[in-house]
Amino acid sequence: MRFEKFLQPDNLKAALKILKTDSNSVILGGTTFLRLSDKKYSTGIDLSNLDLDYIKENNDQIEIGAYTHLRTIETNPIINKYFGDLLPKSLENLIGIQFRNNATIGGAIFGRLGFTEIITALLVLDCELEFEENGLVPFSEFISNWKIKRDILKKIIIKKNRGKYSYKMMRNSSSDFAILSVAVSNFDGIKIAVGTRPSIAKLSVKAAQLINSDNKNIDEAANLIADEFKFGKDLRAEGKYRKMIAPVLVKRALQEVLK
Amino acid sequence: MILKLNINNKFYNTNIDGDEFLLDVLRKIGFKSVKKGCDTGTCGVCSVLINGRPTLSCQFLAARAQGLKITTVEGLGKKADKIVELIVSEGADQCGYCGPSLVLTTYAMKKELKNPTIEKINHYLTGNLCRCSGYEGQLRGIKKYMGVK
Repeated sequence: MRFEKFLQPDNLKAALKILKTDSNSVILGGTTFLRLSDKKYSTGIDLSNLDLDYIKENNDQIEIGAYTHLRTIETNPIINKYFGDLLPKSLENLIGIQFRNNATIGGAIFGRLGFTEIITALLVLDCELEFEENGLVPFSEFISNWKIKRDILKKIIIKKNRGKYSYKMMRNSSSDFAILSVAVSNFDGIKIAVGTRPSIAKLSVKAAQLINSDNKNIDEAANLIADEFKFGKDLRAEGKYRKMIAPVLVKRALQEVLK
Repeated sequence: MILKLNINNKFYNTNIDGDEFLLDVLRKIGFKSVKKGCDTGTCGVCSVLINGRPTLSCQFLAARAQGLKITTVEGLGKKADKIVELIVSEGADQCGYCGPSLVLTTYAMKKELKNPTIEKINHYLTGNLCRCSGYEGQLRGIKKYMGVK
């Protein structure tokens, strides 16, 4: 990654104006993955001085600023209090602590990268994103379509639903990207998300319907996952292998949240 | 752009490009203990402390470092000696390329982990790769430093 100009606007309005008027500009998150590309931008827009690095608890929700580092989320007691180890588990194997001390949640989400495990975890929470231009957008909507491309993510808002949560993944070695990730939540019904397939995480419809109709259908719901999702191939695993381990991880996660 | 960096409690003025990363700027200034390894955020040998947190300098834009406190292993001074002595006493020092970042990360780990265990230590150091020691000797020294049996 290269860019000709480095700008640190005073406010989000000014930052959005640059982003909209300069089509070859880019918002800089942690620049962990962006820097690996060969792309040359005209302007790098840095928001690190705009106080977007925070985790706040309100009456019924938790707000995470888009510049909050992944390690801060992983170790934050407020987050752990409400969602157990769902979010930390989706982060703790990402490269190393030094990496997570720099990578930001905004960058992890906005890139919509298939290997981003925290997307799998956030999908099973009651979660919204707040953008400077588009305002509030449900997290699952943002992830499932590419309508929002040139906007600034300000914060992630998660409803404080006390429930049961489980996160499962399979990886060849710690600190490598996962071969498959699964998140399941149980509050106001069961949600199942499957990610790193290797394409981006997605919520289950059919298996979730089946398990919500009768909580005893754990085996059937888990097996349904293999046919409900498309599993692809990359340098870490074959699609066939992913298809075989997905029901196993989903079954384990369902058993945990239905204990 | 002109940058004023606080490195090991001393200020350095330096002229950089907006898209330069901290690793290259630190090495240009003369902090050669900060190594350039994979340059893709994987190996950890470029780690420095930024406001006390171990961070990959190959991933950190130098322009963002203004106003932050950067610590390299030179800045730890005598605090580093104890860690180094314990690692060396276990025969773990081979090529030494990963040494400065390992010492810095270990120092930060001691400050951060309230109740260290071998599992927590292993996890904390996942991002520090070493290609010649096999980790065992280093870990013996680090466990001693952390007070873990």
